[in-house]
Amino acid sequence: MASNPVPDHVPPEMVRDFSLFTSAGMLPTPNGDPHAAVACVHAGPPIFYSPYNTHNGRGTWVITRTRDQRRVLQDAETFSSHRSIFASVLGENWPMIPLELDPPAHGIFRSLLNPLFSPKRVMVLEPVVRERAIALIDRIAASGTSCDVMKDFAFPFTVNIFLGFLGLSDDRLDIFVGWANDLLHGDDVKRPAAARMIVAFIDELAAMRRKEPVADFMTFVVQAEVEGRPLTDEEVRGTGVLLFVAGLDTVAAAIGFDLAYLARNPKDQDLLRSEPDRIGFAAEELLRAYPTVQMIRVATKNIDFEGAPIRKGDYVSCATMIANRDPAEFKCPNTIDLAREDNRHAAFGYGPHRCLGSHLARREIVIGLEEWLARIPGFRIKEGMAPITYGGHVFGIENLILDWS
Amino acid sequence: MRIIVHHATCQGHARCWAQAPDIFKLDDEGYILPGDINVAEGDELLASRGAQACPERALEIDRTAAALESVFIQSRV
Repeated sequence: MASNPVPDHVPPEMVRDFSLFTSAGMLPTPNGDPHAAVACVHAGPPIFYSPYNTHNGRGTWVITRTRDQRRVLQDAETFSSHRSIFASVLGENWPMIPLELDPPAHGIFRSLLNPLFSPKRVMVLEPVVRERAIALIDRIAASGTSCDVMKDFAFPFTVNIFLGFLGLSDDRLDIFVGWANDLLHGDDVKRPAAARMIVAFIDELAAMRRKEPVADFMTFVVQAEVEGRPLTDEEVRGTGVLLFVAGLDTVAAAIGFDLAYLARNPKDQDLLRSEPDRIGFAAEELLRAYPTVQMIRVATKNIDFEGAPIRKGDYVSCATMIANRDPAEFKCPNTIDLAREDNRHAAFGYGPHRCLGSHLARREIVIGLEEWLARIPGFRIKEGMAPITYGGHVFGIENLILDWS
Repeated sequence: MRIIVHHATCQGHARCWAQAPDIFKLDDEGYILPGDINVAEGDELLASRGAQACPERALEIDRTAAALESVFIQSRV
């Protein structure tokens, strides 16, 4: 794969042959462990330059230490998140909101949306989430002693909750999963095609809710006001698209990685099944071990950062999966200890862009694990099957066939 | 013991609240209420766990004499 030339200001000794897209274990790998694969960067320097570290082959600085990622992500003035990652797929330039807005505009939209995703609001949503998990798992348990977790549980579960937010039924569930998959993992033809479908869908939904309001997220967005004015069409679209992009793949992937871990570690599986009170705590360790997202920021000015000459316009990568394996922050970072204390992991990022959906995501993961372990007896990876994992912008797992015969 | 709340650093992770909802109170957006927290004697372990859970390092544990005094004064009011 061709990559852009390394910029002149990057000292050659700071360049490393590492990429979340192309390094060993990042491409689709049977029985892979992409999180362990990236942990190897901690044997090297705390910051280095990767010449190929985005979808479209751009170079980024890579921040490996948790402490340094916290510093970058907390300083939105120096490290901007406005880079139109979705719109650029269409050759356009508009922000997903609030993720790709910088302060102070960011705070205005964030304050608008925060109450919809607050811990208290999530407590209200919990019964519906649990009901959905139980219905799916009961159906799986009734239909045999094996299933594909991703296809039969993780995606239908998380996409259903997302659709519930949008006041939509499950009819088009497979279509949405397909769009999300194409957008995140598709080629240069599939990605823009999926992006166009998603934009058309959000625009159409917004128009429908303007005409006939109901009690759902898009109605809230089209009726909302910021600074005494309604949102523009572009702002409505940017907000809807972010909900779509952020809500579909990430939680499903987390549930997949978690159940794959438990399938391979029967002792931990038995422990959580017999003592379900531990699941909330254990889920934090699994979030540490198997986070899914790489955050990229753009330097707004020249800054010398921990010995790296970062220049205005440079990309700076804060990969959660790298921070979460930092030995300076976590004792024995590559050991999964479901009772780990002092676990201030980076799975939801740091700073003002901390994942808006983190409280909902946490509940979905915990409820998913609770109901799965309560209803499915001792499970393992089905003999002869090898779940395929992959790295990239959002880490994932596919084809997770479990067996409990 | 007193918890110094660096309110501007709070980003609404709510990990303190998850540890001790009665000590760490959140606003409607899910961010910590401004103002330092005087911790009652029996709540110290729970409060320090909550403070240590903050991913942003927004909560600082203050065990100085002044902190003890402010708790003492509060308990008499």
